[in-house]
Amino acid sequence: MEKVTVDTMVGVLDKRMHRQLKQYLDICARCAICKDACHQYVGTGDFKYLPARRAELIRQVYKKYFTKTGQFVPALYEARDPDDNLLQELYESTYGCTGCRRCMYFCPFSIDTAWIAAVAKGMLIAAGHGNEMLGQLADAAIFKGDSPEMFHDVLVEGFKGIEAELRDETGDDTIEVPVDVKGAEMLYVGLAGSHTIKPAARIFHAAGQSWTLSLYEAANYGLFFGDGEKAKKIAKRFIDEAVELGVKEVVITECGHAYRVAKIFYESWAGEKLPFKVSHILDVIDRFMAEGRLELKPGAIAEPITYHDPCQVGRNGGLYEAPRRIVTAIAADFRDLTPNRAEQWCCGGGGGLVALTDMNDMRLKSGAKKVEQIRATGATVIASPCENCRLQMEDLVNEYDLDLKVMAVMDLVVEAMD
Amino acid sequence: MSDAPNVDLELDLKGLLCPMPMVKVSQSIKDVPVGGIIRAVATDAGAMADIPAWAKSTGHEVVSALKEGSEFVFLVKRVK
Repeated sequence: MEKVTVDTMVGVLDKRMHRQLKQYLDICARCAICKDACHQYVGTGDFKYLPARRAELIRQVYKKYFTKTGQFVPALYEARDPDDNLLQELYESTYGCTGCRRCMYFCPFSIDTAWIAAVAKGMLIAAGHGNEMLGQLADAAIFKGDSPEMFHDVLVEGFKGIEAELRDETGDDTIEVPVDVKGAEMLYVGLAGSHTIKPAARIFHAAGQSWTLSLYEAANYGLFFGDGEKAKKIAKRFIDEAVELGVKEVVITECGHAYRVAKIFYESWAGEKLPFKVSHILDVIDRFMAEGRLELKPGAIAEPITYHDPCQVGRNGGLYEAPRRIVTAIAADFRDLTPNRAEQWCCGGGGGLVALTDMNDMRLKSGAKKVEQIRATGATVIASPCENCRLQMEDLVNEYDLDLKVMAVMDLVVEAMD
Repeated sequence: MSDAPNVDLELDLKGLLCPMPMVKVSQSIKDVPVGGIIRAVATDAGAMADIPAWAKSTGHEVVSALKEGSEFVFLVKRVK
């Protein structure tokens, strides 16, 4: 590997080095508790997916360049220079990580391997080895934000088409998919396509909520790619839109990482306090129910149903109870997964993996724990408020021959409204 | 004589949700020669913005993007 590449990678590590990262890199006791916490290691048995190993690759470079012992006696202290082998293993282990942070939850020192993986992605990108597909998806999203004049009309036309379909489907000519409404109370940020827009429109309509639909999708491939600047630019599209429209609340659809970006990351990235509240759509539905604005038929979902906490909504977003209140209100037979909430197993689809076809084999193997959990409940429906989780679980249904319907919570709510 | 360009590869993207239509086009662009055309048919309305945005940001060209009933039909040219 050329010296300039080594210097660049070490420079990124230096730039991202702070007390917390230094602590993560200094204190691993190699107890290997994380091996039993990681769905990928449990599902594949492949050493490169062991959380401690993912961190160890960065730790070895850290020792070489940031510790005296590693500088002077590298062989004794397992310090090393970045090389092509390290680069390849780093690529597979970090872009393979879903960032679920279950390993952190069980680590006695709370080492955040997903954080270390994010730093590793920054080093890979600087060395010209970032994931090409995730980079392209991020760039396309940024391009849309930079060229609103090119996409505004085609997007609005598409939304009006969705509105027309919705009116046909419901027989209600007053239902709307409003766009660009200044002074609306809420800006709803969906995903591309109609599947996250139609149910939300019906729910807002039923609750009499003032809202407007974002021109932009919530998904953020900049985060998965590992480029903080790109991730910020992608989120900034709807943040600026919300400021421009003067809304009081930004509501993120059933998308795990998008919720975490908007709710948890954005203010620190931007270094400013947002002038509106950020909520997950399930928090809003729960609120509508509590305020008596949404009438749902108890027991409307007759089949045995379970609920999967998406890692970015649950363990990393803190939203556990609102989704359960919604699902239990409309289910005749709710059966929670075991374990659940903060100890929930990752389904294996996060981190952008569902878009990375070269990692399909590992991704499907890594879903084995989720399949085991679902089978143990006997449920025939699973609800989950994250697109990546749902795409993964649909693939698991085919791979493991499950008798299971994968649903968004909003779609179940709409069923219980009818 | 028709002015319609010759299609080198047909992609059926019906039923795929975002970002998969864009992902499939991106993966398949390498399967046609430079100057070659992919005809992609999607049903996700988001593709109407996503595929042109992908093409612009990667230096390829969307020759046409049309809504035909409930389907979205793209002709994408590999430029480089």
